[in-house]
Amino acid sequence: MIRRGNLWLYGLIILLAFLTVYPLTTLLFGSLHSTPPGLPGEYNLDGYAKVLSPRNLEVLWNSVAIAMAKTVISVTLAVAFAWIVARTDTPFRGTLEVLLTLPFFIPPIITATAWSLLGNPQVGIVNIAWRWLTGTDAPLINVYSFGGIIWHMVQHTVPFIFLLTVDAFRAMDPSLEESSRMSGASRTQTFFRITLVLMLPVVSSAFILSFMRGIEAFESPLFFGTPANIQVLVTEIYRAINVNAVPDYQYATAMAFSMMVFLFLLVVAQWRLLGGRSFVTVSGKGYSPGVMRLGRWRWVAFAACMLFFVLAVLLPLGQLLLGSFVRFVGFYQWDMFTLQNYVNVFKSREIWRAFSNTMILGVVGSTATMILGGIVAYVSVRTRWRGRRLIDALAWLPWMMPGMVLGIGLLWGYAILPGPIQLYGTIWALLLAYITLGTPLAVRIMSGSYQQLSFDLEESSRVHGASWWQTLWRILVALSWPAFAVGWTLTFFGIMRELSASVLLYSINTEVLSVVMLNLWSAGRQEEVMVIGLLTMLLVFVFRWVQLIAIRRHISSL
Amino acid sequence: MHGILLESVTRRFGEVYAVDGIDLKVGKSEFVTLLGPSGCGKTTTLRMVAGLEENDGGRITIGERVVSDRDSRLFVPPDQRRLGMVFQSYAIWPHMTVSENVGYPLRIRRRPAAEVREKVIQALRLVEMEAYADRPAPLLSGGQQQRVAIARALVFEPEVLLLDEPLSNLDAKLRTQTGDEFRAIQKRLGITTLYVTHDQAEAMALSDRVVVMEAGKVLQIGTPEDVYERPKSRAVAAFFGSPNFAEGTVSACRAQGDLYALDVKGDGWNGSALADRSYAHGEPATIMLRPENLRIGEHPADGQIAWSGRVTQSIYRGAQRSITVDVGGRNLRVEAPAMQRAAVGDNVSLTVVPGSAWAIGD
Repeated sequence: MIRRGNLWLYGLIILLAFLTVYPLTTLLFGSLHSTPPGLPGEYNLDGYAKVLSPRNLEVLWNSVAIAMAKTVISVTLAVAFAWIVARTDTPFRGTLEVLLTLPFFIPPIITATAWSLLGNPQVGIVNIAWRWLTGTDAPLINVYSFGGIIWHMVQHTVPFIFLLTVDAFRAMDPSLEESSRMSGASRTQTFFRITLVLMLPVVSSAFILSFMRGIEAFESPLFFGTPANIQVLVTEIYRAINVNAVPDYQYATAMAFSMMVFLFLLVVAQWRLLGGRSFVTVSGKGYSPGVMRLGRWRWVAFAACMLFFVLAVLLPLGQLLLGSFVRFVGFYQWDMFTLQNYVNVFKSREIWRAFSNTMILGVVGSTATMILGGIVAYVSVRTRWRGRRLIDALAWLPWMMPGMVLGIGLLWGYAILPGPIQLYGTIWALLLAYITLGTPLAVRIMSGSYQQLSFDLEESSRVHGASWWQTLWRILVALSWPAFAVGWTLTFFGIMRELSASVLLYSINTEVLSVVMLNLWSAGRQEEVMVIGLLTMLLVFVFRWVQLIAIRRHISSL
Repeated sequence: MHGILLESVTRRFGEVYAVDGIDLKVGKSEFVTLLGPSGCGKTTTLRMVAGLEENDGGRITIGERVVSDRDSRLFVPPDQRRLGMVFQSYAIWPHMTVSENVGYPLRIRRRPAAEVREKVIQALRLVEMEAYADRPAPLLSGGQQQRVAIARALVFEPEVLLLDEPLSNLDAKLRTQTGDEFRAIQKRLGITTLYVTHDQAEAMALSDRVVVMEAGKVLQIGTPEDVYERPKSRAVAAFFGSPNFAEGTVSACRAQGDLYALDVKGDGWNGSALADRSYAHGEPATIMLRPENLRIGEHPADGQIAWSGRVTQSIYRGAQRSITVDVGGRNLRVEAPAMQRAAVGDNVSLTVVPGSAWAIGD
């Protein structure tokens, strides 16, 4: 099909290799190198020797246990919510869907800061209220614990799994369930024997994905684990570089590479389990599935969904609002209220710079990621070029590359680039990392969209006189822009959320909001963090609202 | 001057020859159909003419222009071949209205807006769809989409029109009607047409000539009458309906116009048949007898092939009656008029309509 395109394709392979294979290679290189990036040193296995300590066995166990616990809880909740929204007559289901998915778009660092204040055993509002209500001295909750870490992860995982599964519930052919009822099975029997079993492929891949993201999650263990001396793999790597007096790069890099291998083994296990189907997307078209009448229980279902929304969004939002107006968080008296925090934030040049950096990186990064994803998906789905599997595999690699691991790989990678190319310390360092991290999702979304378009639509355009480029633009792009827009928004929020790679790759002048929040927090300026968090959250709401309106308008016009 | 010329065109997928050295000449304004079972290479052939598939060997010429020649590494991409094409799925772009779809080939070629508007209306009028010009494409029915696809293929008056099973997604009644209408338009515009189908009735009703294909090769090229009444091989004969075959030996052979008249003698029967080559005395021959050319209950004339036998099956189909007659241990299929009275167990005589028995060449 493509004749002069071979040069382009080799260029694409080189670009993808630079984005994904290069940091992996430098990661391996760095783990064997005795000195920090850029310095002369020798090669040895000291890093790996350090990784194999009894203490790290506990760290690994913490990571696995936390990820498993949060996954089990989140999958149960998310499947229940998805079923309620898609298949029952619970009131205000459309609104509930919007509310339940909202935490997915909120950067976890914001809810982490809010919950460290809400659930602080001494000065947390929840505990203050509890003491006031019961008169006891003991706190109700302590977020600085395993429970706290897991709870914070659950808030962000439930919407994620909900988004993955709700369309599968919706797309199910109702006659499959109806024939079960006609064969004499009760509603409950039908739910467990038909509905749930049919959902199993979707749910199980969501399960494994959630587990992997649980191993990679940075904010929750950083905010709630570190104060309680609970270390997980990611925080251990972070500690070795950013917290210790002398950064131990070799150990951190060896740890990161080991973690990659661990995640890779998980992916292999998942393949064998699901026969290569790593991420099932179901298009929600064609059926209007039967809705189950819950009777009086529908209000219980409604209340359950609302409770989640209140805990995961409203409580943190309230905390941010309250905290942003007081002189010191924890001391909530009338004479403590002030606008000084807002003044400080708005006068800070550093914060404004971080804001504009985040916006520039968000817009440029998600545009570049989606264009790259669109091209990769095109090559792997639409052409018969022999190298397309390689391209697909390269673009998929970052699935098992946590931001922290990629960040370390890039630290080494940028340091050993030849002289005239200086990426470290520039905004390009972050941009390239974001593109790498966002590419797998972008490819999935775009290839899903292409697969729904028949080949004939393109070929017909070619035969009727349009060149390859004209066809790409007028037919393929014109038809897949809704998917592009959805992917763009997700990638944009992904960039706003990103902390673990940013915290390694930023430098003065290239800070982003999440890093600034972390730094202010470490410096004890929590009230200003509240202000930034509040404003970011409002921005997220506006963005999401505009996106929902745009989607609705597009769908109704089609 | 010819419309399309294929010279030993070949296409391989791995080890499999999808199209194996095809030669075909389509005259100007001629309507030629590629006919064959699925997987016979007919669609691949069409796609190579379109330029959507590249030939591994041979040469393709459209009009005066060589568009693909493997030996000189020449390959004109599809957009520069100036063709019209109708796809099996119609490929109506869902993000455009009817007139945007039809006007696309003109807009791509940067024709002035006034001309585009005028030609779109003309093309839509041709397929009687002008009332739907502003309708969004997804709101059309299957038959309407098909008409839009034809209008789009015709709108810039291409030299050659390609159609890939365009009627297969329509219901039976609409299929006949649309086919006839399309043939009328094609004749009026005098446009060279290459048509792909697996439906033999459609192929015979529409085409000037039919190309029967199997396993990447051409079995026979000829008018519908040629391929139906005078097949060159058993495979071609069997592709149209379910003919009866009778084995015999030739006792006499004489020229009759372009053809040869044979006297053939078989097991319990003898009579005359036609052939397209001469036979030696005593040479074996396979005689094809179409079921609709067998008559029940008529007295055989001199030289007419005839049997007598017993009816073993009689199926009433409304328009006709399908009867199976056992003649000395073998079954012959007969398509008789529906009014023919023949009950299972009846003893009947069978005669072959004069001039309809055909000796298959190979």
